[in-house]
Amino acid sequence: MDVNQAKQEHLLALKVMRLTKPTLFTNLPVTCEGRDLPGDLFAQLMREDPSTIKGAETLMLGEMLTLPQNFGNIFLGETFSSYISVHNDSNQVVKDILVKADLQTSSQRLNLSASNTAVAELKPESCIDDVIHHEVKEIGTHILVCAVSYTSQFGEKLYFRKFFKFQVLKPLDVKTKFYNAETDEVFLEAQIQNITTSPMFMEKVSLEPSMMYNVTELNSVTSRDQGESTFGKMSYLQPMDTRQYLYCLKPKTEYAEKAGVIKGVTVIGKLDIVWKTNLGERGRLQTSQLQRMAPGYGDIRLSLEVIPDTVNLEEPFDIVCKITNCSERTMDLVMEMCNMRSIHWCGISGRQLGKLTPGASLLLPLTVFSSEQGLQSISGLRLTDTFLKRTYEYDDIAQVCVVCPFMSNEC
Amino acid sequence: MRITFSSVRAVRSSKMDKEEAPTQRPVFLGITVEDEDAVPEPAGEAIGQITTKDDILLQEDSIDLDGTGFVTPQEDSSATPTESLMDRLNDQMMESVMISDSPNNSEEDDVAPIDSYLDGGEQENATLGHKEEDSKIGQNTTEIKISVDHLEKEGSEQETKEEVGSQQQVMASVSPQDDSPSPAATRIEDPELQSISPKDEPVPVCTIFSQSTLPKLLAPDGFQPTLIKSPSFTMGSAGGSDEAMTPSKLTVPLVCQPSPSLSKFFADNGQANPASDFFDSFTATSSFISVSNPNADLSPGGAPSHIALTPEHQVSSTSSSISTPGALLDCSTPTPSPAPTEPNTNSQPLPEPNTNSQPLPPQTVSAPTTSPVPVSATQAQSFNQLQAVFSGSDDPFATALSLSEVDRRHDAWLPCEETRKVLISVATQQYSPAYVESNNLTMPGLKFDNLQGDAVKDLMLRFLGEQAAMRRQVLTANSVEQSFIGLRQLISSKNWRAAVDLTGRLLTALGQGYGKAGQPTSHTTDSLQLWFVRLSLLTKLNLFQNAELECEPFGNLDQPDLYYEYYPTVYPGRRGSMVPFSMRLLHAELPQYLGKPQEALDRLYNLKTICLAILENLEKGLAEDGSMITLAQENRQASLTLWRSRLSRVMYSMANCLLLMKDYVLAVETYHSIIQYEPQQRVQLLSGIGRIFLQIGDVKTAERYFQDVEKAYQMKGSNLSHATCVLMNRAFVYLSQNNYADAHATFLEVLKIDPKNPVANNNAAVCLLYLGRLKESLGQLEGLVQQDPALYLHESVLFNLTTMYELESSRSTQKKQMLLEAVACREGDSFNTQCLKLI
Repeated sequence: MDVNQAKQEHLLALKVMRLTKPTLFTNLPVTCEGRDLPGDLFAQLMREDPSTIKGAETLMLGEMLTLPQNFGNIFLGETFSSYISVHNDSNQVVKDILVKADLQTSSQRLNLSASNTAVAELKPESCIDDVIHHEVKEIGTHILVCAVSYTSQFGEKLYFRKFFKFQVLKPLDVKTKFYNAETDEVFLEAQIQNITTSPMFMEKVSLEPSMMYNVTELNSVTSRDQGESTFGKMSYLQPMDTRQYLYCLKPKTEYAEKAGVIKGVTVIGKLDIVWKTNLGERGRLQTSQLQRMAPGYGDIRLSLEVIPDTVNLEEPFDIVCKITNCSERTMDLVMEMCNMRSIHWCGISGRQLGKLTPGASLLLPLTVFSSEQGLQSISGLRLTDTFLKRTYEYDDIAQVCVVCPFMSNEC
Repeated sequence: MRITFSSVRAVRSSKMDKEEAPTQRPVFLGITVEDEDAVPEPAGEAIGQITTKDDILLQEDSIDLDGTGFVTPQEDSSATPTESLMDRLNDQMMESVMISDSPNNSEEDDVAPIDSYLDGGEQENATLGHKEEDSKIGQNTTEIKISVDHLEKEGSEQETKEEVGSQQQVMASVSPQDDSPSPAATRIEDPELQSISPKDEPVPVCTIFSQSTLPKLLAPDGFQPTLIKSPSFTMGSAGGSDEAMTPSKLTVPLVCQPSPSLSKFFADNGQANPASDFFDSFTATSSFISVSNPNADLSPGGAPSHIALTPEHQVSSTSSSISTPGALLDCSTPTPSPAPTEPNTNSQPLPEPNTNSQPLPPQTVSAPTTSPVPVSATQAQSFNQLQAVFSGSDDPFATALSLSEVDRRHDAWLPCEETRKVLISVATQQYSPAYVESNNLTMPGLKFDNLQGDAVKDLMLRFLGEQAAMRRQVLTANSVEQSFIGLRQLISSKNWRAAVDLTGRLLTALGQGYGKAGQPTSHTTDSLQLWFVRLSLLTKLNLFQNAELECEPFGNLDQPDLYYEYYPTVYPGRRGSMVPFSMRLLHAELPQYLGKPQEALDRLYNLKTICLAILENLEKGLAEDGSMITLAQENRQASLTLWRSRLSRVMYSMANCLLLMKDYVLAVETYHSIIQYEPQQRVQLLSGIGRIFLQIGDVKTAERYFQDVEKAYQMKGSNLSHATCVLMNRAFVYLSQNNYADAHATFLEVLKIDPKNPVANNNAAVCLLYLGRLKESLGQLEGLVQQDPALYLHESVLFNLTTMYELESSRSTQKKQMLLEAVACREGDSFNTQCLKLI
């Protein structure tokens, strides 16, 4: 028994081929002019070549599709497709064939077969075909396990398995950075680097904000209804290229009201990235939840609600400050305004602002002018909590550009 | 029933293997063949099977590929265990080492060798395994000894085959594992197990995994210049010795043939020519050899008659005063020049003036075929006859005149400042060419003289036996006339390797043969045309390094001795570049195939600049080179047309080069700008741009371009090729949306309009495979190849077909061999055999 079995070959052969997208055949144009020695020959040969573009033979990129030539690389987020063919190599009819394809990852085992029912019989020289698809969700070693069981003509139950190992690599490197604006806005800069070896078309890079925020994408310049990408014509990322995406997140009003809510570590949202490579080979990844440490504002937060960007020299302008009590206690505030070198406050200093309960805020219109041109920093506000006799200093709150309105006349 | 034992196929591809592997492969294959004639399956399949070689003991569900199982047997083995351990590790890492540029899959040749090397190891191992298995079946208990036996055997084998090298040793050491785990495996209830391991060996297993690592040097769509050195190139060196004799053999026929062929040519010419335009194609029989320059007659006529001609010719052809600095020759100067320079040329160490008189048939290459003046051909004929009799009638001069127009137009070039000075001083006799510094001279020579061979025949010899190989009949350099006619014959029958051989012979006859590089020589129109043909054939054969090597002595193709002005006696009155424009273009393109696209771009930009300058000159009413020659309107127009087409050709090369560099933005821009020069190619160019975007993955932009194509198509009305183009584009979009069913349907629609369209046929078959219909796909491709081999014996189609064979059956090699036979009947020696994936 043993002896016979040892010598026996399997009646069925299992073949597996990864189905990456086909590629377009490129030809290599070599031309000459009619006056040269080969005369018309090169042109004629190129015209006869089925892979050239008729009428434009010197165009390198042809239309002929060629099947994938190797396993290639597979990246996280892409779809692993494979052709599984079980062919009856013998000259006998084989019965009850069951082909099972499983994918073993480091954490789980998935069944990829389209059907789990056995094929009743397979004649010689015919085959069972299956195309499996699986979106790859893990990095690292994957093993495709193909198992074939069948019954031979003589009722023998036979079984064999094959293993195909491949590595799933990381396609992208994503780095993020947060910028806190003077207002409650948060800017997110995401650097996305293509760490594959082929160009990558970024079909979609979007930020899905958490429930607290609304997001504005700042990756296109809108002019006359036409959004133009800030990346210009470069719709794709070359290998190792990095691209910066910028998003502006504004807290939704219900959360912005309560400054206390956005404090400490907050969840901003996640990036959703869809890319395509050769002939539409698609990949999709999402980052984990991006978190940021909300800046601490101390006990009292002073932010600017309204401020002009450009003002005239020595001409008073209005700003509106928002004062928020971020502490856990009620405060009684007095505001002093100190004139700095170039910034001069108008109005009374030492004003009583009254009591401010925790979480509450008040708006404070102020008037100020600058005695110097250029970019000037608004500084010199002092808030004193009369309960604790604690003074908070606010300098460099914001900047304005001060210009001389008579410049052109004087010249 | 529990199966505890199974084979794990590990794809091995460690970078370090890739260099040595290719050289090793042949050795291995040789061994395997000798060792195991029982192995029915061909190399290609064996490879697949090899990969399965790592038979590991695996528990059913814990697929843990750590190397422990392997290590023990390895340590026993005398061969470098560390190395094999490294191998193991690399095994794990394999995929990360592979670098794939998705469109090109350029890495496959990196991968390939490894596999093939595995192949060798495995095969050998398989043999042993067989014997062992046979001798002791069922002796589970003692099986551990077997593995030791194996080791010993292996060891001894290694010793005997020292030359195989360390790689093999690694393999050998690895191989025991295959067997040792199986014995070691504690499977009592499982008799099959035993069957599996031996079974696995003979059963050819071919999968894409192995395919990925298959030894394909083939890069049919190679974006990246994958250098494929033809096997015959190296093999040819053996044949070099007999080649050595050829020059002497050659010269004989060369010398005697000219006159008959020459006259034959003119006869041909007369028929083919009339009304043919520059860009018109001419029939295959129309000749490329013809008299274009009156100088050709120098040879028979000898110096005296020639001198008599010069002044007249000069006066008539250029009735202008040459005042611009751009003008290289003054009307006045050449007239006296012939006589005095004659001695100079003789004193020069150049035998070539004599070569000139040496009656090579191809002596005069040029225009008549393309001449816009229909009369010229017939005139040329009479001219020739007259010349032969040395009679001086007016005809020659008229011919000379019209021909010189064509010559000037085609040969015009703007040399660099330095070269221009030298040429002027030669023309004004300030000093003779003899004193030109040798580093300013072009001294080419063949860099290899081995025969190129025939890869198809070599494959037949290997797979189909000597008898079958003997049946293959292709033209060789020996079987054709040793002239341009023979050369053309070889080129058109796709025997480019033989054609390369023939160019070598002809160049040897011109004194620029093997080893002549660096020796002074003089150039003729013919010698440069021969070089052009040789270099372009080498490029077509993907022998880029050879082409570069032989191109190198030409420098930047701008040395003074590559201009007609440098040879006032040989080419009196003729001006411009001897180097054909196509050769400049080839020279510029060459670096891009050798991984130096930047250099190629530089050269192409240089060409573009000169083309633009010449066009500007023409538009200003000057001659091409900027001299103040009054051109007739039709001549100016012809010139403009010519130079615009050259400019657009340069732009095409630039765009192709940018595409190779993957600078898609610039490539697209450049392709787009070609539309203004070639408006009739609008549809093709826009579709091409769309395909570029599809390749990047930008389907939306691609669709935009495809819409433009459809608009252009609708405006122009129905045109078969445009209709197919539109459908083809649609199919590609479907394909990019993973909609293979609609893509397939659309390719079928193309076939309704154009049933013979090879691209649509092939692409439809490819779609079928992605739809899981392998047999249908295969049937379709097979049918096509059988019915219309002329169209479908193309490397891309054959590549697809062989890939499917490998996927379909374990008997793919037989089927591939049948393809080889089909190829052998039809294709010349330039066929790229790698697409058959037999090796």
